[in-house]
Amino acid sequence: MQHKVVQVSGLVLSVAYAALIVWIYATEPRTFREVATGAQVAAGTYQVDQEKFNSGLSLFRREQFRAARDEWQRADPAQSDARTQFYIAYSFYREGWGRVYNDDNLFRQGLEKANSAIGLSPQPLTIDDPYLQIHTAAELKTELEQGTERSWGDVNPLKVLRTRK
Amino acid sequence: MNKDLAADRNRLRNQALLSFVVLPMIFLTVALLGGLRVNVEGGAFVFIPPPLVTLVLAVLLLLLFVRGGLLQPRAWVANHNTPLTNSINIWTLIALFFASAQAFNSVLPERGLLHWLFSFFFLWTLWNNQFSQFDARRLLRSLVVLFGTAFVLKHVLVASLYAPEGTWLQRLTGTLVQGVTLGTLDAPAFGPATGYISFFTLALYITGLLLITFGSNQPADTSQSLVLTRPTEAEILIVDSA
Repeated sequence: MQHKVVQVSGLVLSVAYAALIVWIYATEPRTFREVATGAQVAAGTYQVDQEKFNSGLSLFRREQFRAARDEWQRADPAQSDARTQFYIAYSFYREGWGRVYNDDNLFRQGLEKANSAIGLSPQPLTIDDPYLQIHTAAELKTELEQGTERSWGDVNPLKVLRTRK
Repeated sequence: MNKDLAADRNRLRNQALLSFVVLPMIFLTVALLGGLRVNVEGGAFVFIPPPLVTLVLAVLLLLLFVRGGLLQPRAWVANHNTPLTNSINIWTLIALFFASAQAFNSVLPERGLLHWLFSFFFLWTLWNNQFSQFDARRLLRSLVVLFGTAFVLKHVLVASLYAPEGTWLQRLTGTLVQGVTLGTLDAPAFGPATGYISFFTLALYITGLLLITFGSNQPADTSQSLVLTRPTEAEILIVDSA
């Protein structure tokens, strides 16, 4: 009986350890901190640092987009929170938007984050923030996609009259 | 009589702990650390999965273990074992396979001509050994020398040539070697911690193989070879019922 207990516990322990190793090689964490964050995400106990998120939000509202992104990245180190990823994408949109032309590089990065936000949210992501003109991740994605596309509309002089969302 | 029985019971308990808990954990730790490197800038972890060639090398090494008598597959997986015993034995063999692959990964240069040179020499040595007369003790000694040599070459010689904090003479030699070989001898520079991790990994791997000897249920003076045999089902039944 005792022997069986040793066998079963050995098998369970080593299977769990092997799963951890596979997970580490799949996620490739770069520091022990990332290992801990990844473990929190896997266990479902991961939470965004609300203080840093709010600090990023206030910077975003003051149009300090890079600083805001920096704060949000610290608030969500695992990049697993759909809401934070949406705001990061939005900051790329606002920073990259131009009356004459958009910054393609920033729009592409924003598009990546918008896709990530869509992927992370189990249902269509909607953000109720009166400061924003775009409230869903799908709309933001479309806006960013249209911003990177080339069309004859780009040479329309009336384009300068459009407004940033 | 009771004393003998108690000694037998303890021996089997220790043997079971070693075979079913300690050995798989050791080999899995080797599998984890074998692909771990530490970046020279910032000290970030870099995980390198085992290249295909290390899997081939691991297969050859396992065959060598069987030929040298270090592993006895018929004792590990047999009809008279319970399904649970067979399962955990197969699991340990899988762990040993990946540990072997990662032990090679740990001492193989990551890219360039050196990667292929090291792989070729490993292949050549293991292939030749397939046709040599081996017992487990000799095999273990040969493995220590093989891994030890590869470790010194990779983590002491090659690493010092490409270390960014090396002396001007080392850097000059590294640049010359790289230039003469048209960049084919290029090797990525990792932090010094990588060498320590690799040393610990190899030490753990060899320890795991040595510990297999403690799994032997043969008297020490009669066994010329080191053989990992698991406690048999009959022994387990006798001890459990006692």
